[in-house]
Amino acid sequence: MTRGEPQPLILKAGEHLYLLRSLAAEIERAMQAISSNNLPELEESVAGQQDLSFRLGQLAHELRDSPESGNLTPFHSLPPDLAQDIRAAAAELQQLNLRYAFLLQYSSRSLALMASLFNSFKGQLKEVPGSRLKLQTWSCQV
Amino acid sequence: MRVNTNIVPNILADLQQSQATLNTLLSELASGKSVNVPSDNPTASAQMVQNALETANVDRYTQNISSALSQVQTAGSVLSSVVTSLTQAVSLGTEGANGTNNSSSLAALAQQVQTILSTVVSQANTTVGGVYLFGGTASGAVPYSADSSSPAGYVYNGNNDANSVAVGDNMNVPINLPGSQVFSDSGNNVIGALNSLVSALKSGNTAQISSATTAVNSSISIVSQAQGFYGNAAGQLNAQETFLQQDTVTLATQQNDLVGANMAQVATELSQAETDNSAAMAAAARILPNSLLNYLPPPA
Amino acid sequence: MGGLLISLLSGTQALDAAQAALQSASNNIANANTPGYTREVALLSENPEYFSGGNLTGGGVSVSAIQSVRDELLNLQIQQQTSLKSRADTESSNLQSLQPLFSSTGEDIASTLAAFSSCLGQLSSSPTDASVRQSVLDAGQNLANSFHSAAGGLQSAQSAADQQVTQTVAQINSLTSQIAQLNAQLTPSVMAQQNGGTIEDQRDQLVQQLSTLTDISITQSSDGEVITTGNGTSLIMGGQSFALQTTTGAGGFQQVLDSNGNNITASIQGGQLGGAIQIRDQVIPGFLGSLNSLATQFAAGFNAAQAGGYDSNGAPGQAFFSIPANGSAAASIGVALTSGSQIAASSDKSAGSNGNVANLLAAVNGNMSSGQSPAAAYSNLVYQVGSAASSASAQSSALNQSIVQLTNQQSAASGVNIDEETTNLIRYQTAYEAAARVVSTIQQLNTVTLNMGSTQTF
Repeated sequence: MTRGEPQPLILKAGEHLYLLRSLAAEIERAMQAISSNNLPELEESVAGQQDLSFRLGQLAHELRDSPESGNLTPFHSLPPDLAQDIRAAAAELQQLNLRYAFLLQYSSRSLALMASLFNSFKGQLKEVPGSRLKLQTWSCQV
Repeated sequence: MRVNTNIVPNILADLQQSQATLNTLLSELASGKSVNVPSDNPTASAQMVQNALETANVDRYTQNISSALSQVQTAGSVLSSVVTSLTQAVSLGTEGANGTNNSSSLAALAQQVQTILSTVVSQANTTVGGVYLFGGTASGAVPYSADSSSPAGYVYNGNNDANSVAVGDNMNVPINLPGSQVFSDSGNNVIGALNSLVSALKSGNTAQISSATTAVNSSISIVSQAQGFYGNAAGQLNAQETFLQQDTVTLATQQNDLVGANMAQVATELSQAETDNSAAMAAAARILPNSLLNYLPPPA
Repeated sequence: MGGLLISLLSGTQALDAAQAALQSASNNIANANTPGYTREVALLSENPEYFSGGNLTGGGVSVSAIQSVRDELLNLQIQQQTSLKSRADTESSNLQSLQPLFSSTGEDIASTLAAFSSCLGQLSSSPTDASVRQSVLDAGQNLANSFHSAAGGLQSAQSAADQQVTQTVAQINSLTSQIAQLNAQLTPSVMAQQNGGTIEDQRDQLVQQLSTLTDISITQSSDGEVITTGNGTSLIMGGQSFALQTTTGAGGFQQVLDSNGNNITASIQGGQLGGAIQIRDQVIPGFLGSLNSLATQFAAGFNAAQAGGYDSNGAPGQAFFSIPANGSAAASIGVALTSGSQIAASSDKSAGSNGNVANLLAAVNGNMSSGQSPAAAYSNLVYQVGSAASSASAQSSALNQSIVQLTNQQSAASGVNIDEETTNLIRYQTAYEAAARVVSTIQQLNTVTLNMGSTQTF
């Protein structure tokens, strides 16, 4: 995006809102993809998240450092509805983010287990003597 | 072979989610707040604690300024009329010292100055809201009462301390001068000077009258100084009042940002949530057997 | 068979190559601190497959062997996460009940603290007004009452969690007894019959229920199925069950004992029991500790400011608040003064002086001995209470989705291609790591966005 003159505050704020909502939608998509084991979908979503969060970070800092606000902070130069929407979207994003973080945490433990399975499935099988049924045990280090 | 019995959690989760959303929106609509409990938005709730304290303080400071201003402005106008009285006393004294008076005109002059003295004393005893303006922090006792054994004819019953009123965080403005610094200052005693002038006029001694008049004249300066103090205090209070008005707006805006609900938005979301919830319920009813009812929480 | 052998060997070479990548990418996404453990998973199979010296025998059976292990692992995970979800749900509902105690109702600590400060501000303006002095006393009493409510609410919730412990232990014992009975019926001959499957399913359902009550670990021994708690306390061994007991502990709360009388309370990590114990023994005591600390320090600071001034009669200020020597400061804090005249507004013994009111105000608005102001300390507590609840709720939702993911894996395609699986795993790992970085960025954005609307930073 070319920036010649600084954009008006309200346009930046509008973009901020759009990015917040898009990122939230992207995170929902990622969680759906994880649940349904859809790896390509997840990868696509994460790439989208990276792009959106990068732009969001830049923009948020620009807004905070905006010279247009004078004594008030940027939010209060905006129409109240827009400011309210931005706050609501930010709050929702945080809650989704929290759930997303937990999902990644739990899912990655399963991932680690599976990785160890394929990693160590090379000769740890042994027969347990004297069992009623034919039992073998497989050990994996996690 | 394990049967996948876990289809239930999916649908339940969706149902619970849509029900939760519905409940949240209903309570937002009822209260006008989008943050009703800390878990709705922990950070905003935490910030609200500080906001609540600051808002209460700012409101109080604003009220304090209002009553302080009334005290300060009253004191200012009292002093202004004291200056007028003193100026009048000076011209009476000057007249009395010109050597052309007989005893009866001197007596008349003395009477007029006596009246001025009484007026000034009662002005020195002015109260605002039941509190003496010029008693220092003594409280209770009237600042000046007649006392024949005192050289000035009046004794000061107050003390030499002053109060500062809280009008901002760590901002306290002194709003009173004790009488001992205005009316009965040891170097420049207004009451004493007037009292001496009365005595001098009654005595008829021209030299005495002349020096007493000079004393009254120079006591005007201490009253002017006091006027300056009150003017300055009023200025500080007014400036702070303007600042607090801005602060009030900022705090109210912040509060709305943190916990306010966009009512139109909420109403829109509510009707959507109701639709979603109905759809989820209908879908669940089609897919699951009656055992779903065992899992759903009872209607609130 | 030779062809399969070659492809499997090349598969193992792929594994070797991938091993480096996997191990380097191992630790850790989104704060996952998985403790190291060695697990043994039972394979039930009629034909033994084994490797020896890198040579494979058993042909295509080994693929289904991986499949079986994979299924067992998935079951393991589902069970564990079911326990965790149940624990999160228990914590979540307990924490939800605490929220109103810290919400802005007008009678909460934040509101009464603000009102107290406001009354003191009025005292600054009118130090001799008896009704203003009385209002300061009243506001102080309201503040004390709001401490009582918060502490009382926390203590009630603790008792409720304590009752849950007792009830859940009873439920656990009932289930383990039933499961053991079913196990006893599951002889090989029964297993071979039609209804063997039904009994097994029944048993599996009960085990599933058990996993919602406590964390469990299932292994096979020569004596049959062994179920213990996550920490190894025996619950079931084949046809025998071991009942847990409860007994009143030193603090008045129910301790969980194993069948030998050992106290295992702190070792329960999952399920309703784990959640109730965590709430009762860790979370609520933490909140109560902060609350008591606040009450104690606030009272001490305010009383010190009182002591530095003089009351209406010129006497040195006495303690405004009373704090008990023992027990909960927040539950027992009281107003010790009986008359407004005892408020130490004066700095010079004169009746009309407000010189000490600034100190009283500073005790309410400025820093306590801890270095934090009362408002800052309380707002911190509000944040803790709020985020504990939203965190438990997020965990529960996340676990739900994770369980769905695992369940979908269970019912997915039957063949296992090691190469493809390995590649996928690496791709997943990469995606998760990138995702974790996004999570962190978003978290940081929160502060920036919030601060955009306020003149102070949080």
